[in-house]
Amino acid sequence: MSPVASLSTTGSILAVAVGCAAASLWLLLPRGESGVRERMAARFGTLLGVVSLALFVATGHRLGGLGEEAVFLVVSLVAVISGVATIVTRSPVYSAIWFALALAGVAGVLLVLGAQFLGVATIVVYAGAILVMFLFVLMLAQPSGMASYDRVSNEPLLSAVAGAILLGLLTLFIGRLSAGPADCCAVPSKAAALAAAGANTAAAVAPEPPAPLDPLAADHVARLGGELFGRHLLAVEAAGVLLLVALIGSIAIVSRTPPEERFERGPRRAEA
Amino acid sequence: MTPSPLVLDGLLVGGMLFALGLVGILARRNLIVMFLSAELMLQGVSVSLVSWSRHHGDWGGHMLVIFVLTVAACEAAVALVFVLQAFARTGRLDSAAWQSLRESNLPRSVDHELPAVDAIPFQFPRLTPAGVAPEADEDELLEREHV
Repeated sequence: MSPVASLSTTGSILAVAVGCAAASLWLLLPRGESGVRERMAARFGTLLGVVSLALFVATGHRLGGLGEEAVFLVVSLVAVISGVATIVTRSPVYSAIWFALALAGVAGVLLVLGAQFLGVATIVVYAGAILVMFLFVLMLAQPSGMASYDRVSNEPLLSAVAGAILLGLLTLFIGRLSAGPADCCAVPSKAAALAAAGANTAAAVAPEPPAPLDPLAADHVARLGGELFGRHLLAVEAAGVLLLVALIGSIAIVSRTPPEERFERGPRRAEA
Repeated sequence: MTPSPLVLDGLLVGGMLFALGLVGILARRNLIVMFLSAELMLQGVSVSLVSWSRHHGDWGGHMLVIFVLTVAACEAAVALVFVLQAFARTGRLDSAAWQSLRESNLPRSVDHELPAVDAIPFQFPRLTPAGVAPEADEDELLEREHV
């Protein structure tokens, strides 16, 4: 009886957390209000967001060691809080900066999960290349001052509710996953499946369980490269072609616009 | 086999990032912020894929994340070109500037009058003036104060 009761308690706490997250996002999203009301909404939204995150942390699973738990908690909180700030910040430039911090958090989560190469690649490729491209475009295209379309949202309430429904369903699924192996939704691990297959065929060579992805293994990147350029060689070639096509396509689209269609703007251009 | 607690927490973080990106792409109207939200969704998917990879103890999720990175780079290049073209035609980064592309039976979205911004401007610390005052450059007066 007690596991069921504790599960339902956890479920109701998580439901409250998801509801608080939706209300917090609704309050924090730009809704085109005046300064005082906006500041009040931001204050309440921040409060609700902190409550929601605290509930999520309280129902989280206990990891092995205290150090691992603390590190994972910090990097995931950085990722999620910066993600919230990315979508609620009015100015798109600050939004891009917050997104860079979210990338740092995600890279930390990937490191804790044992993907050292991907963590570094996320920082290098996303924060180093893609985000800088975003900032270039923003500097080219952002009008001075706060644009009116940055101060309003499309249907903030419905959007927050949609996100809450998605998050609630995902949380429900993850909770069922952790409920136990007897549950219908438990995902069989490949190691267990291999072991079962080996037991069935009674092969002399038992398939050795795959080594856990140790983030500090010396040959982590070597094994990743072996997998990438061995099993996935065709996909690498296809990705190369895709990069080339994207490069040629973007150059073609830019260079085809006739110059007289370009929008004239800016005080200098207008005076000239 | 029940996934380890670390895998479950990774899945939860991935789901949170994905839901946040969904809210952003639905609610925000700035084309660039919508695009950043899509990238946030990709990050959530990457975290989930690496979690499953850890659960299975193989490299499949890592491989998928590498290709997600590649496709995200291509997507950013092409989409930013589209954003620049859209800005060149309308002078705005507003997704509602393209609402003539909507279905004919949908109502037109109308912007209401926004209240004026009365935010307190950020105050930089003042240094003690020293030396002679430089002449004001009229080009400098046209520069934007903030972004």
